[in-house]
Amino acid sequence: MTRFSVNDRPVEYRMEPETPLLWALRDASNLTGTKYGCGTGECGACTVDIDGESIRSCMVTIAECEGRFVTTIEGLSRDRSHPVQQAWVAEQVPQCGFCQSGMIMAAAALLRANSNPSDAEIDAAITNICRCGTYPRIRTAIRRAGRVLRGEERIAAAPPPGIRPEDAARAVPALRLPPGT
Amino acid sequence: MVGIRDTVGKNRSRLPHVSRRQMLVGATAAGGLAIAWNLWPRDYQPNVTAAPDEHVFNAFLKIGDDGHISAIVPQCEMGQGVTTLLPQIMADELGADWRTIAVETAPISPLYTNTLLIDENSAVFMPRAGVPDFVSDVRSWARREWAVRHAVMLTANSSSVRMFEGPCRAAAAQARALLMMAAAARWDADWEDCDTQDGFVILGKKKLRFGEVAAAAALLEPPADPVYRASSGDPLFGKELTRLDLPAKIDGSANYAGDIRLPDMVFAAIRQGPLGATRLKSIDRKAGMATPGLLHVVTHERWVATVARNWWAANRALDRFAPVFESTGTQISTERIDAALKQALKDGGYRISHKGDVAEAMTGRTRIAVEYAVAPALHAPIETRSATAAPDGGRLRVWVATQAPAQCRDAIAQATGLAASDVILFPMMAGGSFDACLDHSAAVQAAIIALQIKRPIQLAWSRAEEIMRLPPRPPARARLSATLNVAGGIDALVTRIAVPPTSHEVRARLFDNTPADVAQRDAAGSADAAAVEGAASSYTIPHHAVDHCPADIGLPTGRWRGNADSYTAFFTECFVDEMAARAGTDGLSYRIAMLGDAPLLARCLLTATSLGGWEGGLSGAAQGLACHSMRGSHIALMATARQSDKGLQVEQLVAVVDAGRLVNPGVARQQIEGGLIFGLAAAVGATTDYEGGVATARKLGQLGLPRLSQTPQILVEFVDSDREPGGLGEIAVPVVAPAIANAMFAATGRRIRRLPLSAQPL
Repeated sequence: MTRFSVNDRPVEYRMEPETPLLWALRDASNLTGTKYGCGTGECGACTVDIDGESIRSCMVTIAECEGRFVTTIEGLSRDRSHPVQQAWVAEQVPQCGFCQSGMIMAAAALLRANSNPSDAEIDAAITNICRCGTYPRIRTAIRRAGRVLRGEERIAAAPPPGIRPEDAARAVPALRLPPGT
Repeated sequence: MVGIRDTVGKNRSRLPHVSRRQMLVGATAAGGLAIAWNLWPRDYQPNVTAAPDEHVFNAFLKIGDDGHISAIVPQCEMGQGVTTLLPQIMADELGADWRTIAVETAPISPLYTNTLLIDENSAVFMPRAGVPDFVSDVRSWARREWAVRHAVMLTANSSSVRMFEGPCRAAAAQARALLMMAAAARWDADWEDCDTQDGFVILGKKKLRFGEVAAAAALLEPPADPVYRASSGDPLFGKELTRLDLPAKIDGSANYAGDIRLPDMVFAAIRQGPLGATRLKSIDRKAGMATPGLLHVVTHERWVATVARNWWAANRALDRFAPVFESTGTQISTERIDAALKQALKDGGYRISHKGDVAEAMTGRTRIAVEYAVAPALHAPIETRSATAAPDGGRLRVWVATQAPAQCRDAIAQATGLAASDVILFPMMAGGSFDACLDHSAAVQAAIIALQIKRPIQLAWSRAEEIMRLPPRPPARARLSATLNVAGGIDALVTRIAVPPTSHEVRARLFDNTPADVAQRDAAGSADAAAVEGAASSYTIPHHAVDHCPADIGLPTGRWRGNADSYTAFFTECFVDEMAARAGTDGLSYRIAMLGDAPLLARCLLTATSLGGWEGGLSGAAQGLACHSMRGSHIALMATARQSDKGLQVEQLVAVVDAGRLVNPGVARQQIEGGLIFGLAAAVGATTDYEGGVATARKLGQLGLPRLSQTPQILVEFVDSDREPGGLGEIAVPVVAPAIANAMFAATGRRIRRLPLSAQPL
C-alpha cells in the first residue's frame, strides 16, 4: 500500500511500491522543491520531514511511508514564514539554491527537537553537501532561527509569495495599479 | 521602440583603427571571409518580448505601466548572484526603487556578447581558423566581430560584472534620459533639468512615476551618447541589498531545468560509455523491454536512454538493458595519466612567457628543483546535468542551464537537423555548475530523445554519469627550478607545467561540437597559454620563464571554477614557501620582499596576517600563507591547519580581498566564502582515479567533499577600493590548497607536494 499524507493532504500513489519517495514527490506530485543530487543518501538535497524526523527521501520507498506524515519544503510554511526560512534570507544563505530545500528541512527538524543546539549538535544534524560553500552562513542562520523559535528575536526578511498589485502599490510609492484594472 | 545599437557593449576607445586597406588584407587572408565580412550586420535591435502593458527601452530594460522594471540579464545565474548584481547596477543608474525591480533572462542576441572574455581569452573561446591570424592589427577587432556575430554570450572567467557594468549602466542612462524627456514634455520643461529618484522623474516639486511616462518615453529617440546620473546621495551601488533570487530559493519554488513540468511529459535516464572513442555495442533488449513502467528505449551511437513515467523507473530499466560499450585505443587510467604528465615534463614544451634571461642567469649556479602534482578536479555540482525538451510542431523547445546559450542552441540544431531558428532555448538557473554548464551534452541528448519519441521529455544524468562523463579540470604536474641570490631570494625561476591543452579541447567541443575524445586527440601536443595562466606570478623575480608542456593524457578535460590558476597558484605559493624556509626567513617577509611591483597584493597580505595573528611562521604554529591575483582581483589567505587523529583539520581561514569597487558587498562576501570552501574541497578531495577508461568513483560520498562539520572558521575582509570591479567568482579558489599545505608544513615539518593533500607523497 502506498497511502500516506503529503503536506497534510492524503495521497495514494499508483506507482510501484519500491519507488523511492523522492520520485513520487517530484514526478507524480510535482513537488519539485525536493531535489535529486545523488540517489544514495549522501548529499541531502532530497531531505524531507517524515513524522518530525529529517529523512533522505531517495532512501525510503513509498511503501515504507504508508500511513506516515510527509512534509516537503513546499509544506514547511504557506508563506515563507517559518523561522528557518526567515533566518535563511536574513543571513543571505543561498547561492545557487539547489541544495537549500534539503538544508532548510534538515535545519527545521533539528530545531523542532532542540531550539538551542550546540555547534556539535548542528554539525551532527546537518550532514548535507553544499558545493557553493554556504556552510558558515548555515551555522549562523540556524542559531538565529533558534532565537526566533525561543521568542528572543523576530525577523521579517522574506516577503510572502503572491503579493497583490494593490498591496504592492500601497507600500511602494513608485508603483501604481496598472490603468484599467 | 528604440534599440541600443552596437555602441552598447563596446568600448569605443578600445577599438583599434582599422583602415580600409587593413580590412581588405584581413579579409583576403581569410579567404571565404571576404564576402561574409561585408554582409555582417552592423546594427542589432533588441529581441526581448514584452507584455501589452510593458515598454521595451533597450536590450536591458523594460518598464511597465504599473511602474515595475524588468532588468534583462544576459548571464547564467549559477549562484554567483548575477541576477542581483546587474539589476542593482541598472537600478542605481536609473534612480529606481529597488522594490520595483524584476529580472528576466536575456534571449539569444549579438547585443549580449561577452566581448571582454573574447579580448582576455581569445585562445579559449574562439577558433583561430575563424580570423586572419597574422594581420595583427585587425585581430582583436575581428575576434570581437566574430564573437558578436555568433552571439557568444558566455558566462565564465568571473567576467559578468567586469563585462556588463558598462553596458548595463549605459542602457539605464539611456532609459532614464527617455523617461525624463517624456516627463519634461508633459511639464513643458527642459529634460536636462530633470532628475530621477526612487522610481520618479522629478523637477523641483513636480514628480511623475516611471510607469506614468514609460509608454511615451519608449517611443522617443534617446541622446546619441548616454547621459549619466550625477552621483546620488543614497546610491544603490555598493549596498548590501538582499539577493532577488532568495525568496524562491527558500520555499522550493525556484525552478531549475529538471523542475519543468509539461503536459504529457515523461522522464528519461541515460547511460553513456567509457571516456575515449566509444560506441554502444549492444543492449539486452528483451530483458530491458520487460521492465515495468518502461515506455521507450532510444539508442544512439554513444549512449542508450530509457523513458518512463518517473525518472527512477527509467533509470532502473537501464540496468536491465545491460548496455555494452566498445572502446578503441588505450584505455584511460590514473597510471597512464601520471606517466603522460611525467613524460611531458621531460619533453620540450613551449615557452609561454619569459622575462629577463633565465638561461644566462642560471648558468654555473646551483639549481634547486621541486616537483608538484595535482589530480583531476571534479565539478560535482549538486544538480546533475539536466534538460527538458518538447517538440512543438516543426520546432523544439528546450529548457536548460547553459553558460553559452547560442552555442547550446547551435549544438542542438546540428545534432537534430533542425534550423537554429527552430530551436527555442529557455535559459534556466544552474544548480551550481562551476563551469559544468559549458557542456551541452544533456541538452543535445534530451532534444534527440524528445524528437524520436515525439513527446516532451525531461532528461537527468544520474550522479554516476555526472562523475564519469563530465570532463574534469585537468590534472597537472610541475617542475619549478630556481637559482637564489645571496640573500636567499629567488633570482631566476623556470616553471615547467605538464598539463593538457584544455582550451583547445573546450573550444572544439563548444563551437564545433566535436566529440570529447576527438577534441582531446586533436588538441594533443598544442601549446596553450591558458593552461599555465597564473604561473607568471606577481612576484618580482628578475628572470622568470613559464613553459607549457602539453601532456596527452587521453582523458578529455574542461574548464572549472578557478581554472589553471587553481594549480599554478599551488605550485608557485608552495615553492615560494619552500624557498622562504630554506632561506630561514618568515613566509610573510619573504613574500613582501618580492611584492614591490604588486602593492595591492602586498597590502592584502599584510592585512590578512595582521587580522589572523601571524606568528612569524614559527614551526609548530600551524599557520600558512598564500596570495594570488587573477581577473583584476587580489587575495591573501592565512590558513591554520594541523594533522590530528581525525586527519587534516583546517581550523581557520582568514582572507583579505581587493576586488575593486563592490556592487554588493554581501554577494561579494558570499563569493569569497564559497570560493574558499570550493578550494578547500579541491585541497582535500573532489577527485577520482581512473581505471579501464572510467572514473573509479561512482558516488558523491566517494569524492571527499567537505561538510558543515569540516568547515573552518572563515573571516573575510575587503579592501576599500575605487578601482574598476575585479572578478569575484574564482579569486578565492586558488589560494586555499597552498595556504593549507604551507600551514601543514609549519605544523608538522612535512611538505606535501600533491593535491589532494591527503594523497600519498610524490
